[in-house]
Amino acid sequence: MTTHVFAEYDDPRALAHAIDDVRAWGAVRVEAYLPYHVPEIERALAARPSRVPYAVLAGGLGGAIGAYALQWLLNGYLYPLDVGGRPPHFPLAFVPITFEMGVLFASFAAIAAVFVGGRLLRLWYASSDVHGIESATGWRFWLEVAPLDRAADVDSLVEVVQRTHPIVVRRQEVT
Amino acid sequence: MSDAILAGLPSEAELQRRLLGTPARRGGRGWRIAFAISSALTLLLVICVTYTVSTGIGVWGNNIPAAWALGIVHFVWWIGIGHAGTFISAILYLFEQRWRTSINRFAEAMTLFAVLQAALFPLLHLGRPWFFYWLFPYPAVMQVWPQVRSALPWDAAAVTTYFTVSLLFWYLGLIPDLASLRDHAPTRRRRIIYGLFALGWRGNATAWRHYRSAYLILAGLATPLVLSVHSIVSSDFAIGLTPGWHSTIFPPFFVAGAIFSGFAMVLVLVIPVRAVFGLQDVITPRHLDNCAKLMLVTGLIVVYGYVVEFFMAWYSGDPAERYQFFVGRPFGPNAPVFWTMVACNVVITQLLWLRRIRRSVAALFVISLLVNVGMWCERFVIIVQGLQREFLPSKWHSYSPTWVDLGIFAGTIGFFSLLFLIFLRLLPFVATSEMKELRRELAHEEHA
Repeated sequence: MTTHVFAEYDDPRALAHAIDDVRAWGAVRVEAYLPYHVPEIERALAARPSRVPYAVLAGGLGGAIGAYALQWLLNGYLYPLDVGGRPPHFPLAFVPITFEMGVLFASFAAIAAVFVGGRLLRLWYASSDVHGIESATGWRFWLEVAPLDRAADVDSLVEVVQRTHPIVVRRQEVT
Repeated sequence: MSDAILAGLPSEAELQRRLLGTPARRGGRGWRIAFAISSALTLLLVICVTYTVSTGIGVWGNNIPAAWALGIVHFVWWIGIGHAGTFISAILYLFEQRWRTSINRFAEAMTLFAVLQAALFPLLHLGRPWFFYWLFPYPAVMQVWPQVRSALPWDAAAVTTYFTVSLLFWYLGLIPDLASLRDHAPTRRRRIIYGLFALGWRGNATAWRHYRSAYLILAGLATPLVLSVHSIVSSDFAIGLTPGWHSTIFPPFFVAGAIFSGFAMVLVLVIPVRAVFGLQDVITPRHLDNCAKLMLVTGLIVVYGYVVEFFMAWYSGDPAERYQFFVGRPFGPNAPVFWTMVACNVVITQLLWLRRIRRSVAALFVISLLVNVGMWCERFVIIVQGLQREFLPSKWHSYSPTWVDLGIFAGTIGFFSLLFLIFLRLLPFVATSEMKELRRELAHEEHA
């Protein structure tokens, strides 16, 4: 059983300051909930750059190489039909489908990377039971600090958070 | 008139209430009438398609030499209309054009619904549409594989990719708004439905980081698609030897025409919707003006394409090319279609040079409708008039559509409208989270 501390703010700058304060206090696992992307919050969280581009590169190369190989297999090897004297393995004619499949599989990889990296597609999250956190998809900004084991730490953290002028502070027990 | 891209800077809560409140609004009398007409036309589409499939495409007006005719005219017209959606959502995003935010969701939906209509035509034109999967390299026991050195499998790959990437891009943009709808839904049923489609989005900063990275990359990936899809469609023509088709100008000419007609359709849809939903402060005169300017620019590229086509026909010295452009199209069978094209695409578009016209909602609506008519005529001129007058005079024949051709076209307009009306009722048609972000940026700039 650990305790997560949540706090609600009406302004992203206040949330960014709160993140700085709890990190200065020693909190390691800090998360923010936002109705839209705010670059200052990302900077305050000192998050690593997203790895989505690597997934896209892998997906795109895989799609393109696979499409070229399949075209060669179909028209260059399995069914080498002579059409107007053009060679069965004809790289120039293979370009459009290679390009399209590269783009298609790169896009699939981008979406999959968001699902995996953003930890979507789950039925329950620690934040799900926090009263009022629905406003994070509306117009409010939430802070989550977790996990902290000792009760004394939690009290001390709540004090730090209270000093950042949140609208509300909540403790959430998570098993 | 205001030049702002978000008039009055409404608060985030106000934006939330107004933009996400649209799916909860009851459809008015106008919506019900539009829905009834669209449904009736969709029924007509079902009847015509059923008749075509059960009888064969002999019920169309296609003949020899005009074997492509309206089926392909409508394919090219619809897929062209889709292009403005991707142009607005992807290319203008990469160029950091903030005005796109109010209309990008709207335009993306238009793209998806237009591509769906487009896909119907080549499927029916196959003659035996139930064998459409032969276009794809599935492990067939007959071991007869698609001929990938032909433009037809290129088309299948390009259109499938375009639709899929547009759908992914649109859906990714929708996820934060679906989560917001889930969290603020008035009923449990809506909460569950929107919750399922929100895919567990909570708005955590980690998810936003990956989301923004993926959104930017998808915009980058969708950008070459805008150029490639219609370039490949144009290759269907350009690799043929038919007079008027065998031209290297076709890819850029087709792409410009696609964006031209797409922006016209965006305006045809945006103008009534902003009036009905009272969104004049979110979709401002600046948006309409910018769309009109882009329509003018792409229209001028199209006019340049016409000039080059005529010049090259004359300069080539080829009698068939010269006859095609200087006799067949302007004075041959179906010549009124050619002159309608000239009137709509060349003459009327020049009105957009006038700021007064660009800022007049009524004028813009009428011009946009006429541009769509003009671009339909352009496809007809290229395809039908091109085929009517090929090399051998003994092969010359005129073409006229049957009621089934016209019924299918009217039906696709109805089906497109039906999908659009349903979209307006079920989903937020303005990207609300992006609008809130834009509002914050504008507020900062105002205070700076």
